Amino acid sequence: MLSAGAALAAPVVKTEHVEAELIAEKAAFQVGQPVTVGLKLRMEPQWHTYWKNPGDSGLPTRIEWVLPEGWKAAPIQWPHPQPLPVGPLMNYGYEDEVVLLTELTPPANASAGKVPVKARAEWLVCKDICIPEKGELDTTLTLAATQAPANPRIEAAIERSRNNLPVDARGWKFESSLTKTALVVRLMPPQGVSAPAKVDFFPEREGLIEPAAPQKVARDGQGVRIEMKLADPPPANVKSISGVAVTDGAWPGTKARAINFAADVGAMAPLAAATSSASGAIGSSTLAALFFALLGGILLNLMPCVFPVLGIKVMGFVEHAHGEPRAMRLQGVMFTIGVLISFVALAAIMLSLRAAGTQLGWGFQLQSPSVVVLLAVLFFVLALNLSGVFEWGAFAQSLTSNLSAKGRYADALLSGVLASVVATPCTAPFMGAAVGFTLTQDAASALLVFFVLGLGMALPVLALSMFPRLLRVLPKPGVWMETFKQVLAFPLYATVAWLAWILGALGGNDAIFALLAGLVLVAMGAWFYGRWAHAGGIWQPAIAAMLGAVGILIAWPGQLAPEQATHAAPKAGELAWQPWSPEEVRRLTDGGRPVFVDFTAAWCVTCQVNKRVALNNDEVVKAFAAHDLTALKADWTRRDPRITAELASLGRNAIPVYAIYLPGSDAPRLLPEVLTPSIVLEEVSRLPATKATAVTQR
Amino acid sequence: MKTVLGIAAIALSTSVLASAPPGQQAPTFTLTDLNGKTVSLADYKGKTVVLEWHNFECPFVQKHYRSGNMQALQKKYANDVVWLAVTSTARTASDYMEPPRISKQLTEFKAAPAHYLMDTPGSVGMAFGAKTTPHMYIIDPSGKVAYNGAIDDRKSTHVEDVKGAKNYVAAALDEMKAGKPVTVASTTPYGCSVHYQ
Repeated sequence: MLSAGAALAAPVVKTEHVEAELIAEKAAFQVGQPVTVGLKLRMEPQWHTYWKNPGDSGLPTRIEWVLPEGWKAAPIQWPHPQPLPVGPLMNYGYEDEVVLLTELTPPANASAGKVPVKARAEWLVCKDICIPEKGELDTTLTLAATQAPANPRIEAAIERSRNNLPVDARGWKFESSLTKTALVVRLMPPQGVSAPAKVDFFPEREGLIEPAAPQKVARDGQGVRIEMKLADPPPANVKSISGVAVTDGAWPGTKARAINFAADVGAMAPLAAATSSASGAIGSSTLAALFFALLGGILLNLMPCVFPVLGIKVMGFVEHAHGEPRAMRLQGVMFTIGVLISFVALAAIMLSLRAAGTQLGWGFQLQSPSVVVLLAVLFFVLALNLSGVFEWGAFAQSLTSNLSAKGRYADALLSGVLASVVATPCTAPFMGAAVGFTLTQDAASALLVFFVLGLGMALPVLALSMFPRLLRVLPKPGVWMETFKQVLAFPLYATVAWLAWILGALGGNDAIFALLAGLVLVAMGAWFYGRWAHAGGIWQPAIAAMLGAVGILIAWPGQLAPEQATHAAPKAGELAWQPWSPEEVRRLTDGGRPVFVDFTAAWCVTCQVNKRVALNNDEVVKAFAAHDLTALKADWTRRDPRITAELASLGRNAIPVYAIYLPGSDAPRLLPEVLTPSIVLEEVSRLPATKATAVTQR
Repeated sequence: MKTVLGIAAIALSTSVLASAPPGQQAPTFTLTDLNGKTVSLADYKGKTVVLEWHNFECPFVQKHYRSGNMQALQKKYANDVVWLAVTSTARTASDYMEPPRISKQLTEFKAAPAHYLMDTPGSVGMAFGAKTTPHMYIIDPSGKVAYNGAIDDRKSTHVEDVKGAKNYVAAALDEMKAGKPVTVASTTPYGCSVHYQ
């Protein structure tokens, strides 16, 4: 098998700016089935090749196949292009790498064996200048009784290309019309789906539109319409429009980024005034999203990641519960402002990064090791403070407990910020759908949803501060408060432990050790400060600060080695998790087996609780086996665009998400975000019972 | 104030490509040729003018010069039309060529345009909406655009494709000479992007 693989490796043709290679989708294809091969072009950085419509200039890549007798080649399956602006002009094409897939059909009488195929390919590769290049590429296909997968490198390249192929979106309706100067296309989704807010349209026909003119995208009920400037003069006899519509993430209702568009040119109803204005009325779905966002925000307060921060806040309230009501109200308002600023800022960062093409989800900040380290250090210092290792000195005192209260407002604002930053990865129930919906909307409604989410989170604290009478039931401040304060340190230590574990998932054992070693130094600094800094000299605080700084330096994550996926044998009472990939889901469902996917991450506390409580449970494990349900784990601890895309196709952008994919059905069943064993058992029991033999597979 | 407006107008004109569709009056222009001589479109009122957007670094242009196709057209219609080659390639672009080098290459290729015009700021190219090299325009004796588009119907860089291609410019010039309306007055040009400033 290995030697056959080596013999099949096609030579790479290197031209001045491109490395070209002919790759076969499988190491061995099943006899009698069509085969897929790809022309892989790896361009030099900033050089590009062209789509079938190259835009204002350029030439599409061409392939001439030289095949044995009876073989037929289908047209190239073009991945959707990207817009490539050149000054005032616009090209449509590909940078870095493109794989142009082609299906080859063998003659009916083809038998097992080797099949030599040759492609004479020509491409124009351009940067500032254009170079026409060509290559004669060979490969040898193997036809066999059973198919065998290609090597992972080739599989990955083909998969990347497939992910960018436009698909036919079921249930969508398309229209197109021409005015004197514009082409308008309208894309209407099926019931219950809404069109994405960001759409790029690429017409198939060259010279139809001005590729460089900005496309006007407007909402049209649940759908979207795109207006494009026609070429001047426009081509004659345009009877129909075909093209590709591309969005960020996944096109709603599909798993692809792009869909095929085709419509005859006809009359189109004018855009209803209510839907055209960008600042128009908020649709009912947005109102629902706002409601759930508020509810989800309130529930965030009960999440294990927010609770410690909230404890500190409540502590503050207790201290001053019997004080001036006005000051307390103002503190409540400041906390709320802190939360709102951070939610809107986090959302704005996420939206703008997504607009720039980075695949991010809600909670993305904990996918960054440096943020995790900083938070761990911060929480550790706060915990040491609560434990009484040190008191904030004269300087900090003026900030935090000045009775004139200016400092206390700043403190309230900061705790609002802190609460939000750690709260976001804890998607509360109700919130997942709201966040997912939000990302299909324009930026303004998205920000509104996040604003309301923050409002929900701040609401309980705000309410307490507005009605201080609620707090009167608490005992008067006294010695008990010191004890209470020290007790509050422990949730914070627990948070540090959790963050250390996340860091481990991001960077492995070494990263945890660096963090812990750094924390030891930070603890020394804190102790030094608490023990001697009040003497009044300048040296003592300086030494303390230095210890802290060295601690952070040690803890700081360097180049993190990705943790090797360990496939430990499952313990009794645990599910046999296997790594998720879209292909694996397709492979299993194509084979008639249902699949359970856990979209999870180390930083998602709700996910971990669900796994312990509801999934790794004897009854559940038995039920999975009885129904031949394969458990796949989609780990989003690090950024993974494929997972982000899959979540988007499920209408989500936050985790946990639990989905059951059934054979012969495209729409998976979603489970609630908070699981109990009975919920899981009920869902699993609804699956069709399986043949006893299937249980022994794999 | 006027300068400010002028700068604004230039800024606008460099960011948006205009167009010169058939039947409309062609934008007027004054440029200098390779020898520094001033050439205006208005100088040729009453004559048919061919504009050829040009850059020797472009493989599509090379196809039509290596095959001798473009030079043959320039010579064939020398008595009937004024053939102006124009480059709108910015000085900063990597495919920009200094006038002496262009002159040398024109001689080597035995090209015979009436003038080769330097439009390095790109304003004339932008006014015509010239997108590619080559991009061809025919302006009739009344100053209206008679043809706008590709040189022929074979989008490729292969010299051998010149033979057997339908040459839109030759067809249009022949029709104009015979006093007939131009059948194909506009096509989608093909070639390399014009690298504007």
